[in-house]
Amino acid sequence: MTAYLFKRLGLSMAVVLAVVVVLFSLLHMIPGDPATIALGPRATPEAIARYAAKMHLDQPVWKQLVIYVGNAVTGDLGVDVFSERPVTTMILERLGFSMSLVFAGMGWAAVLGIPLGCLAAVKPNTWLDWITGVISVATIAVPSFLVSIWALLIFAVGLRWLPAIGAGEPGDLGDQFLHLIMPAFAVGLGWVGYLARMVRASMLEVMGEPYIRSARAFGLKPNKVIFGYALRVAILPTITLIGMGFGGLISATVFAEIIFARPGIGKLIFDSVMARNFPVVQGAVLVATALYILVVLISDILIAMLDPRVRDSL
Amino acid sequence: MKRLTTTRRHFLATTGALGAVGLVGGVPSMLRAQEGKVLRIRLDGDNNVLDPGYMVGGTEVEAQLQCLPFLAEYVREGDTFTWRPSQYVTKLEQRDPTHIDFELVDGLAWSNGYGTLKASDVAYSYNRMKTSDWSGYFDALETVEVTGDLTGTIVLNQAFAPFIMVTLCHGPGAIVCEKAVEDAGGRFTTDFPAICGPYTYSATPGQRVVFERNPEWTGPLPDFDRIEGNVITEVKASELAYEAGELDCTELGADTMARYQGAMPDNTAITTAGQLQYMWLGMNTEHEKLKDIKVRQAIQHAVDVDSILAGAYSNTTAKSHGIICPGLLGHRTESSYSYDPAKAKALLDEAGASGLELTLRTLNNQERMLAAQIIQANLAAIGITVTVLPVDSGPFWEMGIEEKGDTWKELELWLMRYGTVPDPYEATQWFVSDQVGIWNWERWTDEEFDRLYKEGIAETDGAKRADIYLRMQQIMEDTGAYVWINHEPEAYAHRADITINAAPSGELNYRRFNLA
Repeated sequence: MTAYLFKRLGLSMAVVLAVVVVLFSLLHMIPGDPATIALGPRATPEAIARYAAKMHLDQPVWKQLVIYVGNAVTGDLGVDVFSERPVTTMILERLGFSMSLVFAGMGWAAVLGIPLGCLAAVKPNTWLDWITGVISVATIAVPSFLVSIWALLIFAVGLRWLPAIGAGEPGDLGDQFLHLIMPAFAVGLGWVGYLARMVRASMLEVMGEPYIRSARAFGLKPNKVIFGYALRVAILPTITLIGMGFGGLISATVFAEIIFARPGIGKLIFDSVMARNFPVVQGAVLVATALYILVVLISDILIAMLDPRVRDSL
Repeated sequence: MKRLTTTRRHFLATTGALGAVGLVGGVPSMLRAQEGKVLRIRLDGDNNVLDPGYMVGGTEVEAQLQCLPFLAEYVREGDTFTWRPSQYVTKLEQRDPTHIDFELVDGLAWSNGYGTLKASDVAYSYNRMKTSDWSGYFDALETVEVTGDLTGTIVLNQAFAPFIMVTLCHGPGAIVCEKAVEDAGGRFTTDFPAICGPYTYSATPGQRVVFERNPEWTGPLPDFDRIEGNVITEVKASELAYEAGELDCTELGADTMARYQGAMPDNTAITTAGQLQYMWLGMNTEHEKLKDIKVRQAIQHAVDVDSILAGAYSNTTAKSHGIICPGLLGHRTESSYSYDPAKAKALLDEAGASGLELTLRTLNNQERMLAAQIIQANLAAIGITVTVLPVDSGPFWEMGIEEKGDTWKELELWLMRYGTVPDPYEATQWFVSDQVGIWNWERWTDEEFDRLYKEGIAETDGAKRADIYLRMQQIMEDTGAYVWINHEPEAYAHRADITINAAPSGELNYRRFNLA
């Protein structure tokens, strides 16, 4: 297990490094002078010179990359072009909002999607299975940004039951929860369908296994067979899916964060791209990527702990 | 060492618990209604640099207007903008074309124990601006002479009529506390080292800015106790928040403005701040395909501007007839050409330009692309094939600048929009001869235009200035290189029981908002 852990960690770090290089190269391939793009067409020569010096633009690109990676390893992701605030601080200020949205979104999707999948699997080819299938495909098909807008129009503008914008009053958990409901609903909806379909497929496979038939033959209660034996095995591919889903949600939250004017990593990246604030874009994308890789790593480790067979493969 | 193990049963139990914790954050508080005189507005981004010398502009100017002194402020008189002395001065007078005398109100305190507002603060503030990122606003400033604790004279190095209107009323005219700024290292970014205004300032990045009553403020009190500025980047999200009752005032996009004008939401009014944007279709007079003025004039007559205003802007913008915007001296109300496809075709035939193919470059946003497509159809009707080339803002703003590459040689047609200040001189400065290859992408020169530009800056008689700028726009139009499109407004929807106050360029001044 320890060897597996080290191999996965090494691979993850290599991926992060590759992402840094690609990201850095992409930003330098954008047409136009980086300083002019960032500061606007009528920036003074003094401001452009100050920016160029601050961003090490007077150095060769490979040297800029080395400086960036060296600083990033120590947690220094540079400073905001305009406010000169540390990018790391800006990211940390927003990380909690994104994470709470991701956890809440995936949380309610799992709470609803996994039982739905089980239900469909234990009653295959019945009206219950068909309805579950329709619901699942429908939730997968509707894009999250559309769900966000509809939710906003119905529950905030029309009914005025829920707040439309922001993340709630700092320190007021109740208000923050209210502000989380619609964004979490929007980002999690598609995952209800994904999880339901995945659990159904896995459960159907497992339910046909001899040990399940044996358990039934011994007269165990259906709930014990389903949740105590079948789901324990069927959940394995779902864990991988949830792991990938967490990573995907980190980037999917950008729609919800923009539409609901909610602070978060996605909105930070979007605003920074719009303002051509490249150090912030670079830092925030790097952190989002690292989080994605971390979540996938954790899900891989969990699978390895649950299923010893995968420890021999990378 | 203990082995790291888990079971599937533990995993399921933990996942369920985490999901429940994520969903149940606490007892929701439904109490969201505002109490007291609270104004809730939208900010389109964080305030990154509050220092007037190094700010980006926009909402940063709005913050300065609440927390820093200014010598003058904008006033709207009917459809035009002018200025008046601010609450911080007892006197602000232009003694002669190069001297402006001022006297500050006595006893206005800076926060954080920095004493009271002094004439030396004015001198410090304006002199430092001459070497700042906004130095262009202070090109005409020679120095500020301090003649007493509260009195001084702004000395200009040349007669510059718009100085008060353009510089003193706007963000660069904000006065900072000399000692506080020096203590902060000579510059500041996201917080004011000292304030002297009716509101204090606090910001939560990415979320909101809050202005609350400044207990040390002894000047006139504004109507609202507290201003909550919510950071909402997208104007559409802000409009929905307004409709959901969570904002009292928001900027409006063109399509929403058209919708509101058709069916105004309850308790809502619309106020237009100013229309200080001017957009045109530009033509490169030096390009082989467009060298003949008859071809350019044909294009002037071929473009149906009314269709662009309706199709791309939902008829919410003013039709343009030049570069001087509505409400300013020298604004034109008609052009010497009109939409006339038959005349356009005739001019094209006269020029012998058959099978002409042109490229139209535009910024890749929705309105510009729609406008470009309408122009494409208009020109196709007279036999000109146009290829629309959408360009991202980085390369777009470098297209006509010679030192940024060779694109300027290939430029044929482009859709351009500039913003301006509430004085006509600024819009004209980009078209003088020495701007060819910089911002005069149409690449024409005219001695009379250059001479009039200098005269317009020095002239203090309003009527004479208006004539100068009218003539300058006629010269531009006669080159055939311009099809004037529109002036986009800065429009705000707000509760009908609130009167809002906005600068011509759209910055809101919350301290001058009134509650009915």
